[in-house]
Amino acid sequence: MDSLSRRHLFGAAGMMMGALATLSVPGTEALAQGPAKDRLVIGMSLEPPVLDPTKNAAAAIREVTTPSIFEALGRIDRTGAVGPGLAESWNVSEDGKEYVFKIRQGVKFHDGETLDASVVKFTLDRLFAPDSTNPAKSLYTDIEKVEVVDPSTVKVTLKSPNSFLLYSLSLGDAGIMHPKSAPTNDKNPIGTGPFMFKERKEGDSITLVKSPTYRDPGSIKLNTVIFKIVKDPSAQVSALLAGDVDAFPGFQAPELVERLTKDPRFVVIVGTTEGEVILATNNVKKPFDNPKVRQAMAHAINREELISAESGFGVPIGSHFAPHNKAYVDLTKTYPFDLAKAKALLAEAGYPNGFEASLKLPPVGYAQRAGEVLANQLGKIGIKLAITQLQWPQWLSEAFKERNYDLTIVAHTEANDLDRYARDGYYWGYNSPEFKAKWREVVAATDFAKRDQILKEAQQIIARDAVNGYLFQLAKIGVWKKDLVGLWENAPTPQLDLTGVYWK
Amino acid sequence: MIEFLSRRLAGALVTLALATVVVFAVVEVLPGDPALVMLGTDARPDTLAAIRTKYGFDQPLLTRYLQWIGGLLTFNLGNSHAYGTSVSKLIGDRLVVTLPLGAMALFWATLVAIPLGVFAAWKHRRPGDWGVMGFTQIGISVPNFWFGIVLVLAFAVTWQWFPAGGFPGWQEPVKSVHALILPALSLSLGEIAILTRVTRSAMLDTLREDYVRTARAKGATESTVLFKHALRNALIPVTTVAGLIAGFLVAGAVIIESVFRLPGVGQLVYDSINNRDLVVIKNVVILFTILVLTVNLLVDLAYALLDPRPRVRA
Repeated sequence: MDSLSRRHLFGAAGMMMGALATLSVPGTEALAQGPAKDRLVIGMSLEPPVLDPTKNAAAAIREVTTPSIFEALGRIDRTGAVGPGLAESWNVSEDGKEYVFKIRQGVKFHDGETLDASVVKFTLDRLFAPDSTNPAKSLYTDIEKVEVVDPSTVKVTLKSPNSFLLYSLSLGDAGIMHPKSAPTNDKNPIGTGPFMFKERKEGDSITLVKSPTYRDPGSIKLNTVIFKIVKDPSAQVSALLAGDVDAFPGFQAPELVERLTKDPRFVVIVGTTEGEVILATNNVKKPFDNPKVRQAMAHAINREELISAESGFGVPIGSHFAPHNKAYVDLTKTYPFDLAKAKALLAEAGYPNGFEASLKLPPVGYAQRAGEVLANQLGKIGIKLAITQLQWPQWLSEAFKERNYDLTIVAHTEANDLDRYARDGYYWGYNSPEFKAKWREVVAATDFAKRDQILKEAQQIIARDAVNGYLFQLAKIGVWKKDLVGLWENAPTPQLDLTGVYWK
Repeated sequence: MIEFLSRRLAGALVTLALATVVVFAVVEVLPGDPALVMLGTDARPDTLAAIRTKYGFDQPLLTRYLQWIGGLLTFNLGNSHAYGTSVSKLIGDRLVVTLPLGAMALFWATLVAIPLGVFAAWKHRRPGDWGVMGFTQIGISVPNFWFGIVLVLAFAVTWQWFPAGGFPGWQEPVKSVHALILPALSLSLGEIAILTRVTRSAMLDTLREDYVRTARAKGATESTVLFKHALRNALIPVTTVAGLIAGFLVAGAVIIESVFRLPGVGQLVYDSINNRDLVVIKNVVILFTILVLTVNLLVDLAYALLDPRPRVRA
């Protein structure tokens, strides 16, 4: 849910633009100037605050910096798999508690410093140190110690096996930083990646240029990459139409896509994300502590209708797991859409006439759209929802931290985020010894095939318990000029790999 | 004159002092935890606590208020929590967009509204007047962001006479002015409408005055009557309203900057509220309080120049 993809000020403006955009727009073809062939302007709907992913959780920071500026030990590829990054290889011990990384040699930071094992140790120590303020610190607290074996070898010892460690060490949160530049990376990020930070105009743009010291200069076809901040959906469309922006890898306004699909200058690529949109339910609050109430709600949810409110973008889900993952199991039929059954379950639970509850919505497009539809769907079995709009900071404090909510809608965008069901005191208040035991098995699994099998069982437990309402997997809508090649179709992680991106 | 102005200045300073208290209180009661916004949903309680200590969110209210005032007085506003950059640089970079935008909108509004208002008053209860009034009705009802979108579709997307948005920076002055024209136009629409109406009714009042009849009786030309005798007196309420409008322009800028992707102060406030970047919100709001107070002082000064009476009465 760290996408924090804030809904833009003016939904109304967006709708109006949608209406207007259906009018034909002649004359643009002739005037649209061809883009310079080594320069790419990428539109972003959210602005990164600082530029250091170890200091702030915003997904936008990772899009700009990882792996363009900061690289990690492993590198996540376009399928979501981990391959070699700054570590060219690694060995995992039989018991899954010792990782030995071979560090790539001859790698330079943008300021000329050299990468070696001590730099890696510095970065990894910062992750789990007692005074670490890394937003993802909890991913790394299984690490016991990090040792420099020789200048090109680092040994990481775990307190207990963690089958997600390699993935976690490939995230921007674990981007390798040099002790010299680490303190100032928030404003002037210096890494080992293919692009160097050039300048930033807060509120407007961030410019990167090709790094002359990158180890594989041939793979970089772009000399300049400009991230342009365009928050308002209608302004995003006009920026594309007017040629000010070449690509929107994460276009946020599905209702405006049709206009762009018709334009021969652009391609619209619909891919997958790790974002499960759920109706998060406060399991410790009456009446939601009653499994029958949650099951009744699950029977009353019509996912097709919810997805059509997203202009057809999105894939139905029946548990908290992404359909493109190979460990996915289709559980959408666990509680099939059945209003009679839903009403019967509600009556059994002691609410034959339904009840009233609140639905607190964060300011993001999908939550706004799904919120209205869900209020209507649950209304049909007598659950009357009062919708309250919250700003993100309010949502984080009120719904998430203080757990002062009945229902809310949010996308959980991290990969491998089933672990939240094993956490004590998480905001939906699910507490199942069965699931916790299952999750410990997942984490401790040293064999990935076996892990996938356990993951399937874990999905089934939470689907059966109807912990939350499982709605749909967010789509990644990418819009870019048709002669641009190499941008990722899917978003397995909130990163933007620009190596291999070029103009035809 | 000096006494009049110094009284007004003292009044402005008292207002400013009270405003710091109000702004601080409002920013502090904003629901939401800046540390949680920074570290997100995976943050552990210990890291959240460390961030709160680092940025001083855990200090007592009075300490934080006094630190802020101390910073204001020494022009040391501190660093933004979200961006890490200095608040004065952040605000400075944005002001060079918003101030010219506001000034252009205000200039455009007065340039159009005053002649229109005079014209409407002159054609009172005739088709010319009705036409102008109809226009102002539309100008007040049309939301300026919508007008902005229409302007973009027409002049940026269809005809491409202007950029659809964005701001190149003042190192390219011609392009920058060019980029501000459509936003200033959309921002000024409502203000033109209001100012036209105020000018018209002020003109109608003065045109009924005895001295206007006298001027006409002594054979002064219509333009002398309108512009020299009537308009100068009508300008007093017009100036007042123009001063108030300057404040509204700031509010309008938040929306217009979003439509036109201008990195201005309005966007900074909006983003800072979403980031709970409290130090930035406080300082921007106080800055605008100072700005509006200054405009009001200038309006007072303008009164004194237009009309000698306040100088004596004060």
